[in-house]
Amino acid sequence: MSLRIVHKRHWGRWLAAAVIVVLLILLAIAFAHGQIDWKVVGQFFTAPAILSGLVNTVVMAVLAMALGIVLGVVVAVMRLSPNQVLQSVAIGYAWLFRGTPTILQLLLWFNLGLVFPTLGIPGVWSVKTIDVMTPFLAALLGLGINQGAYTSEVVRAGLMSVDAGQTEAAQSIGMTRLLALRRIILPQAMRVVIPPLGNEFIGMVKLTSLASVIQYAEVLHSAEDIYYVNNKVIELLIVAGLWYLVVVSLLTPLQMLLERRFARGVATSR
Amino acid sequence: MNAVIEIRGLAKAFGSFQALAGVDLDVRPGEVLCIIGASGSGKTTLLRCINQLVEFDAGSIVLDGALVGYRRAGDVLHPLSEREIARQRLRTGMVFQRFNLFPHLTALENVIEGPVQVLRRPKAEAIAEARALLKRVGLADKEGAYPASLSGGQQQRVAIARALAMKPQVILFDEPTSALDPELVGEVLAVMKDLARSGVTMIVVTHELAFAREVADRVVFMDKGAIVESGTPAKVLGSPREPRTQAFLSAVLGGHRTG
Repeated sequence: MSLRIVHKRHWGRWLAAAVIVVLLILLAIAFAHGQIDWKVVGQFFTAPAILSGLVNTVVMAVLAMALGIVLGVVVAVMRLSPNQVLQSVAIGYAWLFRGTPTILQLLLWFNLGLVFPTLGIPGVWSVKTIDVMTPFLAALLGLGINQGAYTSEVVRAGLMSVDAGQTEAAQSIGMTRLLALRRIILPQAMRVVIPPLGNEFIGMVKLTSLASVIQYAEVLHSAEDIYYVNNKVIELLIVAGLWYLVVVSLLTPLQMLLERRFARGVATSR
Repeated sequence: MNAVIEIRGLAKAFGSFQALAGVDLDVRPGEVLCIIGASGSGKTTLLRCINQLVEFDAGSIVLDGALVGYRRAGDVLHPLSEREIARQRLRTGMVFQRFNLFPHLTALENVIEGPVQVLRRPKAEAIAEARALLKRVGLADKEGAYPASLSGGQQQRVAIARALAMKPQVILFDEPTSALDPELVGEVLAVMKDLARSGVTMIVVTHELAFAREVADRVVFMDKGAIVESGTPAKVLGSPREPRTQAFLSAVLGGHRTG
């Protein structure tokens, strides 16, 4: 005699799914009947102005993040250095730039000309600050230096996660602190650092939208320029929003690739 | 023969704890020296002073004719720069209790890291030598393995190959078998015996008295940061003169005196 096993019925799941589906349908109907001209969304999704704004967004996110990572690594190493002067500078940097709003920092960089009308070496060479401090440079400095303050803490956590025996082993084969850091400690810290850094990068993609206030022509700024003319405010905000979602979605597989690269030696088990 | 290491009046305190309280010790080239003693007796600190992982407070170490950590100008000692200290460390190899292999590098990459990055040797040469060293420690077939996939005994043997690859004048072993499962101790000791026979100068901090008895040219017993007794294994382990040595040995051997 064979007994038949009846699988457990998950009534709760069916009920929850039904409720969600109904809510989604209602939401879709609401938007379909709402004051949104979806044709305009489709029309402007690939408009040249939007696409060039998108390129500017991606370029700014990548460059500001690169600056942030370089600063973050340097500041994290300073913070962990036995030199108290370097330590204090690192602590002060993180305090200042994490303690003030990013948009305020962007405005300060953009208006640097009010503090220092000219930049350069007095008597030798100088330029007008307003000629140098373009929206691009102000956004790069503002976002990158601000990012460096946050990244330094992420990198510091990564460096501290590496066993002290690793530094000793590196020193025992004649490495200097700097060589040990580059060859032995940082590659191991990367494994810990990449997931939160991916998070920070996603944050940066969206943070670039702040640069619109200092006239940097990123995607949100382009969308605004268009809706000032044609009044299709919501439609263009949706266009910008969709592009942010696309860019962020592409970052996730990139992060997974990097994680696999730096998990060498850890993933292999006996 | 001239000593390769001359230690005079070496002292080191960690806060109020006196780890080393005036150690004098000479090591001859080719000698295998085993240091025994209870934990906290200063054995490990002594090793770490020799390769400058710990800065000592007083005394001096002369390694192969050169003052360790300082440059002498008249009666004044000036501390060496970090780069000079790194260069001095090339004279000593170190094998750690917890192996400390680089986990992101394969066994072969661990062994060539120093020769290629520090000594700037051509990579092909370094690889050929590393393969020979891995063969010597019985791990020729494991060159592509990451440390996480190796047993403790295998990891420690790779660590010994890594130290040998730098061609140091002295290899310091800091309790090399203490972190191993009992069944893996033998394979590491076998490699160390082979090194000892081939004339490598070794200072071994160990709890393996049988190894010390068989391989050591000289055994040093330390207690409270000082050397209490020193001599041939037969003398120090077989018929110790000092009451403290006798007490330590009877505690370790569970009251059964052997040898």
